[in-house]
Amino acid sequence: MTDGADTTANQRTILVADDDKDLVMALSIRLRAAGYDVISAHDGDEAFELASKNKPDLIILDVRMPAGGGFTSIDRMKHSLNTRNIPVIFLTAFDDEDMREEGRKLGAVGFFRKPFDDSEFMEAIAGVMDRQG
Amino acid sequence: MKVYRVAYLGNDGEAAMGLETALKGDGFQFMRAGGDYQGMEKAAEFNADVILWDKDNLPADAAFPLEEIRDAGLTRQAVVSVVRSNDLEGAIKSLAGGANDFIYKPVKEDPLPRVIAALNTGQKQRRIDWCNRVIEDTNDQVKGILATLTDPAYIVSPEYQILWMNRAAEEIFGEGQRGGACHHIFYDRTEPCEVCAKSKGAARWRATLKNGKSYRFISAVVRNSKGEVEKLAVGTDITPDQEVSKIHKTFIANVSHDLRTPLAAIDQYVNILLEGLGGELTEDQRDYIDVIRRSSFRLHNLIENLIDANKVLSGDFKLKMEVASIQDILDIVLGRLQSQAEDKGLTLQVQVAEGLQPVYADKSRIAQVIANLAGNSIKFTEQGMMQIRAGFMPRDEGRVIVSVEDTGIGIPKEDLGKIFDLFYRVEKDKVYVEEGAGLGLAISREIIRAHGGTLWAESMEGMGSAFHFSIPAYKGQAVIR
Repeated sequence: MTDGADTTANQRTILVADDDKDLVMALSIRLRAAGYDVISAHDGDEAFELASKNKPDLIILDVRMPAGGGFTSIDRMKHSLNTRNIPVIFLTAFDDEDMREEGRKLGAVGFFRKPFDDSEFMEAIAGVMDRQG
Repeated sequence: MKVYRVAYLGNDGEAAMGLETALKGDGFQFMRAGGDYQGMEKAAEFNADVILWDKDNLPADAAFPLEEIRDAGLTRQAVVSVVRSNDLEGAIKSLAGGANDFIYKPVKEDPLPRVIAALNTGQKQRRIDWCNRVIEDTNDQVKGILATLTDPAYIVSPEYQILWMNRAAEEIFGEGQRGGACHHIFYDRTEPCEVCAKSKGAARWRATLKNGKSYRFISAVVRNSKGEVEKLAVGTDITPDQEVSKIHKTFIANVSHDLRTPLAAIDQYVNILLEGLGGELTEDQRDYIDVIRRSSFRLHNLIENLIDANKVLSGDFKLKMEVASIQDILDIVLGRLQSQAEDKGLTLQVQVAEGLQPVYADKSRIAQVIANLAGNSIKFTEQGMMQIRAGFMPRDEGRVIVSVEDTGIGIPKEDLGKIFDLFYRVEKDKVYVEEGAGLGLAISREIIRAHGGTLWAESMEGMGSAFHFSIPAYKGQAVIR
């Protein structure tokens, strides 16, 4: 083992950012149960900070949040060397095709509408992790 | 027989005498008066039908005094000038000035044909004048009405020149714009707008004007009293509609967002509990949580249906049209319908006519209609069967008709006309159906209408119901599945 490596080297980290704290906690519980490490943020600024600092393997971003919503956050992340390669999955309770398109353009790998199908959501996350190898 | 009156205006006694002698024998009433303004007024009092105007008392180069004659009250009478037989120039000048004819003096030829021709011209002129007056009056009335509008109205010439604007238009574009080019004054353009370039006649368009408001314009071709074609345009301020529609859209988007958000949390915690992540559950606890799950699911469906109904009924939805076979569309929903029918012990039969033409439609929307109709059938049928049939109707260049029939409770006659109304539910003591907000059929009818189709129902209470919709068959080549 080299210096700096820790015991959770194989554990994948997911950043969940949503201003609905109840939902963030629920997702944390379920993602941890599925074997992921979870860090959480409740607004856009915090999401960007944590993403830069922790370089998670995946970011789940709510579209509408205070202090820079999901679109602003992903834009900042894609323009920062530290975070540009981290895949992003969007969550939103809005039902808007244009929004979905906007998310795709900004480089999101997934887009889920709340309330979402749980198994599809978990599969999408596993898929992203698999692609990262 | 009507006696016609001829007035001679001039000072040449010999000529007057000659004319009087010639015409009196033919039954005309004749009067003489001076060639001045007073004479003209006398002729008007006499109620003359024809004026014989002798230019002798005027300088040789004087213009024919038509305006004076009209002013004196001889507004529509034919005027014949009397000129010396060597004064061809004078004759031509008087014709150019508005005289209907001329007679040479001294009088050698019979003046009767000239006078009769002038009378005839005068009568024609009177009719034309009358028509023109009606047109002018009508135009004035229309302008009067348009002037009071709070929305802009204007008239332009075929050369795009502003001829008239009402007060509301002046308030937007400023006074004193008459004579300017409409595209320049209204829209700061150097060239005519596309609407006018495309159509010289009636047209409709929308435009945002200099006051920042949006208007829907309609234009029509009108004729002025000279018979010239003009274009009249009237705008309606649609800014309030657009604002209301925008507020409505934002409101619905936010409400939908806020209704769905807590459902996501409920779903997640239900899953946490059911997966045992909150500790072991007793059998009873599991059952209770299952009730929460089902209720949340129903609430979710209801919210989505309401949002969808709002979209469809306000026309705010886009169809993703493609060529599809009815079988393709049925495949989207049949699995779910079969299992729903089986759950109730019903048989669901499906018959699609062989070689049935495809349709050009939004597959998921048509599937939604079929699911709704068949879902209703299952809901209201306790025993027996239900059937979905699809066939061809040669009417209107070919239509595909889909029928959903059941042996259910049927619909009372008095309700049959109302079932497509929004929020309408058939109240029946013997059947309690807990689901349904009365949205499905209203949505379905709009979807079918948007496809250029018709949705209708037949029913006999106690025997069953049949719902049919027809949409145009696809006329291009059939696609291979």
